[in-house]
Formats: sequence, C-alpha cells, structure tokens
Amino acid sequence: MMFQYFDTLVTGIENVLENDPSQKSHRKLYALEVARLGRRLYSGTDRLAWCGVVAPFDLLAAMGVTSCFVEFIGAMLAATGASSEFLKEAEDAGFAPDTCAYHRAVLGAGRKGMMPEPDFFIATSAPCTGGIGVMENMAAMFKKDLFVLNIPQNDDPASVAYLADQMRSLADFVSRHTGQPLSMNRLAEAVTYSNRAAAVMSEVYRLAEHVPSPVCAKDLRNFGIVAALLLGTPQAVTVAEAFRDAFAARIANNTPGVPGEKIRLLWIQNRVQFKNNLEDLLENEFHACIVADELNDVTWDPIDPADPFPGMAKRAISIPLNGPVERRVKHLADMARRYKIHGAINPCHFGCRQGTGARGLVALGLKQVNVPVLNLEVDCVDTRNYAPGQMHTRIAAFIEMLENRGNPWG
Amino acid sequence: MNGPQLKLAGFACAYTPLALLDAAGMTPFRVLPVGGDWPDQAGTLLHDNICPHVKRVLNRAMAGDVPELSVMVFMNSCDAMRRLYDAWRAIRPQDRTFFVELPPTADENAVPYFVNALKRLAGELAEAGGDPIDQARLLNSLVAWKTIANLQDELRARVRRGSFPGGPARLQEIYNQCASRPFSDTLAALDALVRAPEEAAGNKGLVPVLLFGNVLPDPEAIALFEQCGAKIADEDLCTGSRLFAAGDPGTDPDPFRQLASMILGKPPCARTFDSSAPLSFARNVLSRARQAEAAGVIAHVVKFCDPYLARLPAVRETLRQQQIPFLLLEGDCTLGSLGQARTRIEAFMEMLR
Ligand code: SF4
Ligand code: SF4
Repeated sequence: MMFQYFDTLVTGIENVLENDPSQKSHRKLYALEVARLGRRLYSGTDRLAWCGVVAPFDLLAAMGVTSCFVEFIGAMLAATGASSEFLKEAEDAGFAPDTCAYHRAVLGAGRKGMMPEPDFFIATSAPCTGGIGVMENMAAMFKKDLFVLNIPQNDDPASVAYLADQMRSLADFVSRHTGQPLSMNRLAEAVTYSNRAAAVMSEVYRLAEHVPSPVCAKDLRNFGIVAALLLGTPQAVTVAEAFRDAFAARIANNTPGVPGEKIRLLWIQNRVQFKNNLEDLLENEFHACIVADELNDVTWDPIDPADPFPGMAKRAISIPLNGPVERRVKHLADMARRYKIHGAINPCHFGCRQGTGARGLVALGLKQVNVPVLNLEVDCVDTRNYAPGQMHTRIAAFIEMLENRGNPWG
Repeated sequence: MNGPQLKLAGFACAYTPLALLDAAGMTPFRVLPVGGDWPDQAGTLLHDNICPHVKRVLNRAMAGDVPELSVMVFMNSCDAMRRLYDAWRAIRPQDRTFFVELPPTADENAVPYFVNALKRLAGELAEAGGDPIDQARLLNSLVAWKTIANLQDELRARVRRGSFPGGPARLQEIYNQCASRPFSDTLAALDALVRAPEEAAGNKGLVPVLLFGNVLPDPEAIALFEQCGAKIADEDLCTGSRLFAAGDPGTDPDPFRQLASMILGKPPCARTFDSSAPLSFARNVLSRARQAEAAGVIAHVVKFCDPYLARLPAVRETLRQQQIPFLLLEGDCTLGSLGQARTRIEAFMEMLR
C-alpha cells in the first residue's frame, strides 16, 4: 500500500514535469525526491536502515543503504490524515498517550505492518530520549540489530572524537550487515555532495532573509530536516539549487512569497504536520509570513572529505535541538536578527520534553532581542485534540499585538 | 545537619558519581522532590508535561529551599534532566553547576568517554573548592561506596526477613539520609544498624511483590504498600536501592575506569540499556521478580517519564506471558498521588492472595 502510494506520487510528478516543463518548480522537485526516497524505503529491494534524526545519512548513502529517520513516517502519516489509526494502535499496545505522537505513530505503524522490515536500526540520542526508546522497541519488534549513536551535548574535542569513533564503529556495523566494506573514496564523494548541498542551502536561507522575503510559509516547511535525508547524493544539490534559483528569481522579479508582507515570523522546532489552515490564516488574513524555521539552517562547517568522521560528528552535535538551551536560544536570537523577525511561534508539541521543556527559557531569550513568542499547545501529529478555533483566536491576538508594537527592526 | 564546614555537592540523579564527590571532600546532597510544599512555578520555565521529579526539584530551587551548595552536578540522563540543568542555571546563577555526559549504553566507545567525563568532573570539583582527587583518594572512596552498598544490602535482607524494625519505610528514611551525608557518617550509621541485633518486625501474612520504578522517596509512601498488604520482597527505585548499587569495577587499576564500570554496570534505570539485547529491561524485571519469589510486580513511575514509558509495554507483556500480575502506578513522587491509588493497590494485593 505504501509502496503504491509513493510510486503513484513519483509517477504523477514525473509525468507532470515531462508533459509540462513550465510546471517545474522547486517544491515539485523536492516532493519528487522525497517520494522517490519513500518508494525506495518501501520497495523491498533496497538495503534499509531505520534511523534516529541525526544519523549520518551521507555515510549510509555511501555504503549503499537507503535510510530514513522514523519520525518522517510519523509526519507523513499525519500529513496524509492517517495518523489517528496508528496512534490508537500504539496506545492500545500500552504506549502512553502523553508521549511524542511522532513516535507513537511509528510504533503503531510498525505494529500494523506499515513499516518495511529494515536490515538494521540506528538510534541517535539526539534530539530526544523518546527517540531512543522507540528505536529499541522497533528493534525488538523486528528482531533486528540496533546500533546506538550517543550524541554528546557539546562539541569539545573529546566529545567530537567520541562521536567520530562511534561513527567509525557504525561503518563497521553496517559493513558487517551488508558484507560491503566502506569505500573511503565513495564516502569522500558523498561528503562532497553534502558540502555542496549545505553551501547551496545556506544561500537559500540567506535569500529567505530578504525583506520582503521570497518565501511563503509552505516553501520551506520541513525543508532542513527532510533535506538531510538526501545528503551525500547529487539530488541534495539539485533540490537545493532549485530552491535557490526560485528565490533568487522572486527577488529579482520583486515577487514576495506573501504579497504585502507585513509580519515576519520565526517558527520554532517542527511545523504542525497534519492539514490545517494556520499558515493560510497567517498569510491571507494578516499578511504574516513564516520566513524562518528554527531547523532550516546550516549549523555546521564543511566536512573534510579526506577525514570526514569528525566533521560529521560536529554536524550531528550542532543541530539546534541538541545541547544546552543557551546555545539554542543564541541560535534563535541570531536567526531573529538575520531574518528581521517580528514574532516567533512555538507550537510546544505535546509530548516533546526536550522541546517544550525549553519553552520558558526560549521565550525569555527571544524577549531579550525584542521578539515576543507565542507558545501554543498543540500536538503536531495527533489531530484528535486539535482545536482550530482556539488556535485561530490565539494567533489573531498575537498578530494584533505584533502589529501594534510596530517593526522592531526600524 | 549541614555544618558550615561541609562542602555540599547537590545532585538529582541516581547515576551521579557520589564516590567522586566524596573523594573531593564534598558531601553529597540529594535535592529530593519531596519535603516541602513549594509553589508550583516550574511549569513557567519548563512545561507542565515534564516529569514531576524534575518539576518538583525545580519548584524547590525556585522557592529557595536548597542550602548553599559548593557545586550542583547534573547527569545527562534524559531530556527532562537536561532541561532541569538549563533552568537551574537560569534561576541559581550563583551555583557552580556541572553537567556530566552519561552514555545510554556501555559499549566500547562509551566507557572511555565516560571515564574522560569523570576525570573532567574531578578537575572541575577541585576548581570549585574540592580537594584534588588522586588515585589513592578515589580508591578509598570506591571502597567506601562499595561498603555502603554492602551494608545496605544487609539491611534489605533484614527487611525481607522481617527482622528490621520499621521495615521498608524505615529503610527508605535511611536511604534518604545516606543520599545527603558525608560517606563517613553514612558508613558509621549503617555499621551501627547492621551491628544491632535483628528483631522480629512482623511482616507475616504480607504478600511478596517486586517494586520497581523511579522516584518515590517518601517513607510514608513506601509504608503504604505494607499497609495494603504488600511485602516488598525486592525493590528497584532510583531513590531506593539503586542510588548506592554498584556494578562490577572490573580489573583495570585506574580508579576512574573502575568508577565508570561501577556506574554503567549498576542495575539500570530505563534510560540505560544494552543495544545488543533490546528491551532487556523487561527481562531484568522478570528475573528480579523470580529471584524475589514475588507474587506480583508493582511499578511506580512518575508521569511523563519517557525512559520508563517506552519500556513499560514490554514489561507488561513479558510479565503477562509469565502470568505474573502487574500493577502500574503513575504518580508525581509524592504520597498524595500514591494515596489516591490506595484502592488500586489494595485490590491488587487482594487479587494476589
Ligand atoms: S518532537 Fe520532540 S520528542 Fe518528538 S521526535 Fe521531535 S524532538 Fe523527539
Ligand atoms: S523520572 Fe524519568 S524523566 Fe524524570 S528525571 Fe528520572 S529518568 Fe528523567
């Protein structure tokens, strides 16, 4: 069923692009590559690893393993309106409803045979404790080997060396399962693609900073986190270039993402994954645009293709959801300055301890750079308690407040 | 209790290297989440859906009900603990606060890294006014730790035999005292208790159960189980036996290496696991229940604790397969929340009879 879904998606987009090249857009290219990844995941032919969020996807690509973080499936089930059934399945099996719904959806999907059997699992201790728990359960469910990457909180030399060593051990673990040794040449090639993609993604984000911004809320939704799945491949570069070119053209043509842009918003952590009209409401009613997402940033330096493990380790440590909250706040404040943000929205995804547990200090930190934060109470995956009316009221009040205080950036 | 000469080292997690604090000439001080009626303010910094252990520890700190600390040591045990570390520094900037990486597994890369983290902490403690830790000092503290663990083992055995007056509730009081005293005082107190003759304490007619979970430090809460007819035949709580329980130190002469092995080899909290044996936590619960000849298993887990919530379905299933009755209590570390569960505990015990 899932293979069918992704296959139809791939064929549909390919047909459109072939028959009507004018329809070619950055979002379509991106959707195509994501659908192709989905098709490979469910093909039953590829070597497959289910992973944690910050696994080194370029290393896995270089080793011929199709890989994906499991939360992607949780988000996809939510986006297609199918999450409730799987959440219920997990809850019926005893997984508490007050845990992260990305994880519950995945556990439910695993139990209902909707997750293809992988060759092995790779858990990552960042961004969250719940993530390791779900991988341990999945490994037991599928009776497959589990490798755990412990991601330290800081990038001091000992921590980087430790994670780099773990990644070397991971390569050995993968080799043992695939029977293929790691080719350092292939890894260097993959890392070169990652570096090129990261450089172009940085350009994309710099273009998004433009006032008015060339982006609308949908353009870069989930972009940074999902694009990581393409790292190590030429597709990562192609997709990033398509975004860059689209935004550059919009700026050149004076076509902002949200016509009449008035309010520039920063979205904290993940977007709401199921269909909702919050973004439309913001853009159409208030000319407010989500110009920046916390996770849309390149927080790491180029990786040395000749000695890639330390650079890959630093990359994993650098993600905004890892490390002490001070670092996270610093990054958010920096984004606020770069993007000339008027206000930030934190969905406070129910069940995410690492994220919601930081909400007070995040709000205080952004207040110090004169950026108010709207803390919502929403489960980004589980629609069952979603109260759109209440959301709209709170967002409307927040935007009105932002309008009344004027532009903090002059 | 805390004379001016004591250098208090605050902590909140059972994985804290207490022997290192002792070797630095410091007195461990466990910031327990019970003992005061603090205003509930933690949600403003954290979120209401964070584990009540962490919230209550923060409430306590926000209410100023923590003595002057020379240092406060946090372990990287889980998301909630990381956020507590962040919030603590925001509300008590005057504290010297340290954060120690704690690998979730004890694999070949993790052990040396943890050794390194412990060595770094030793240096930080010395900079914060602690004594410099040399090998001999640390070895002495390791011996003291192990001795405390053995003495506590003996007291547990007496509780099981029904020959320790005050039973498990008194033992819990002792655990709490051990968590916030110099090792030397703890050794002396435990030694005196063990030397005292055994006395019949009357736990006849109670049904043996295994009690496991995380944070339940209130002796009255522990007493409640007995009042409901349970004999705690074995217990695995992070505010109970697990604090001083120690793994095998191994054969490495480096005491830091021994310390790392003893900590990573402790009976695991759900946040630590063996990646080569997924969900072995559930099998460990089963084998402890069998060893204790428990008629049933009671879990007391604080709400919103992701490490436990992720492993409880496996525990339930493993016990179900072996037809061992299981009762799950979710609480907020306090007697109050457990008191509400009294009827459920009584009904469970009734069923076990
Ligand atoms: S939302 Fe939070 S708990 Fe859920 S997967 Fe993401 S980081 Fe983990
Ligand atoms: S009770 Fe659970 S969530 Fe809370 S600090 Fe302990 S391990 Fe973490």
